[in-house]
Amino acid sequence: MRSEQEANRAIERHADTVRRLCMIHLKNYADTEDIFQTVFLKYVLSTVTFESDAHERAWFIRVTINACKDLLRNFFRSRTVPIDELAEQAAALPDDHREVLEAVLSLPAKYRDVVYLHYYENYTAPEIGKILGKNVNTVYTLLTRSRQLLKEKLGGDGYEWEVSGSV
Amino acid sequence: MNGKFQEAFDSIHAEEALKARTKAFLEQKTNGYRPKKALPYYRLAPVMACFLFVLAGFWGYQLYFTQTSVISIDINPSVELGVNRFDRVVSAKAYNDDGEELLGSVEVNFKEYTQALDEILNSDIITDCLSRDEILSIAVVGSDETQSGRILSDVQACTAGQKNAFCYLASPEEMEEAHELGLSYGKYRAYLAMQEIDPDITPEEVQQMTMREIRDLLAASGDPDILQQFPGMQDGTSGQGGPGGQGPGQGPGWHGGKRKQQSAG
Repeated sequence: MRSEQEANRAIERHADTVRRLCMIHLKNYADTEDIFQTVFLKYVLSTVTFESDAHERAWFIRVTINACKDLLRNFFRSRTVPIDELAEQAAALPDDHREVLEAVLSLPAKYRDVVYLHYYENYTAPEIGKILGKNVNTVYTLLTRSRQLLKEKLGGDGYEWEVSGSV
Repeated sequence: MNGKFQEAFDSIHAEEALKARTKAFLEQKTNGYRPKKALPYYRLAPVMACFLFVLAGFWGYQLYFTQTSVISIDINPSVELGVNRFDRVVSAKAYNDDGEELLGSVEVNFKEYTQALDEILNSDIITDCLSRDEILSIAVVGSDETQSGRILSDVQACTAGQKNAFCYLASPEEMEEAHELGLSYGKYRAYLAMQEIDPDITPEEVQQMTMREIRDLLAASGDPDILQQFPGMQDGTSGQGGPGGQGPGQGPGWHGGKRKQQSAG
């Protein structure tokens, strides 16, 4: 088991990443809190040795995405929608960047991870494939389609859709 | 780098309250980040004691209820008593309707086999049969020769007053064959002998016949070899093999399937 210092350091270092991934997958704050507890408890109890900061970061991303998927797969959750869920999610988005974030959240779930990992975390398609356990060509396809959908929603002005050398 | 995406996601932060609650949760879940102590031995003692108790119970049950010898009694009621290593009757099985009736009239389970035999031999059904000059055949079968020999001596002592009682040792293999045909041991031997004079005879028919009827049929055949296969018929004339049949020291009459009849009493 890891020490308290290690846990606190990981929370300070990766809490924002976990929070962002929760934001693109989950629709209410209670679920976000659940995911925080699940992910960091897993870290504390895990015996994985990280070779680098990048390795540790990738571990947190993968574990968070899997935890979110597990939560959403829950039988009860998949058949019920809390009445205030959408309102809560919309209210949580910062006003300054509402347009971009709403466009990302409006994408089908399978596109959101690749968009976040590519456009924000700057991972390449092979790296995304490794993190998500998907074929590289699948990642390319998801990126191309998500780019088209985002273009339709946001238009081309002011956005660099191609990330040179990454995809 | 897409600046707008970067700015948009950069604006999302984990709230300090959320971090604090997560830290508190981890503290609580890990019991203050203290690794779990191994359960001390004294806490395991009751569990081990329960385990040993169950194990001892199971072992005792096996030991008590495993039959080490069988006493097969045939007259017409055909019954077999399973005897454990402590000389107690742990099973009583009837091989025909008369046997059912006999076991219904006596209580032999968990009694010492000598007591059980006394009860059976003194029951109305058996005394009635013996008074009609029926033949009583008692075979002792067991893998433990010492116990089988001892049981045979006791059986002989129990039947000492009966002129038509024949006691002998038999082999477990023959007993198995008998059970495969649904017969008690005495009736099985009788069935084998009867087959020589009537190959079409079935085990069911033999099962319902009295030992006296069988012996009379064998005697009527007049074949001395066949007669040798039935207790008390070694001289081919009479059924007087008793009292008590042969002793263990003299060797079993039918032991090992050799159909060797020795002088009884």
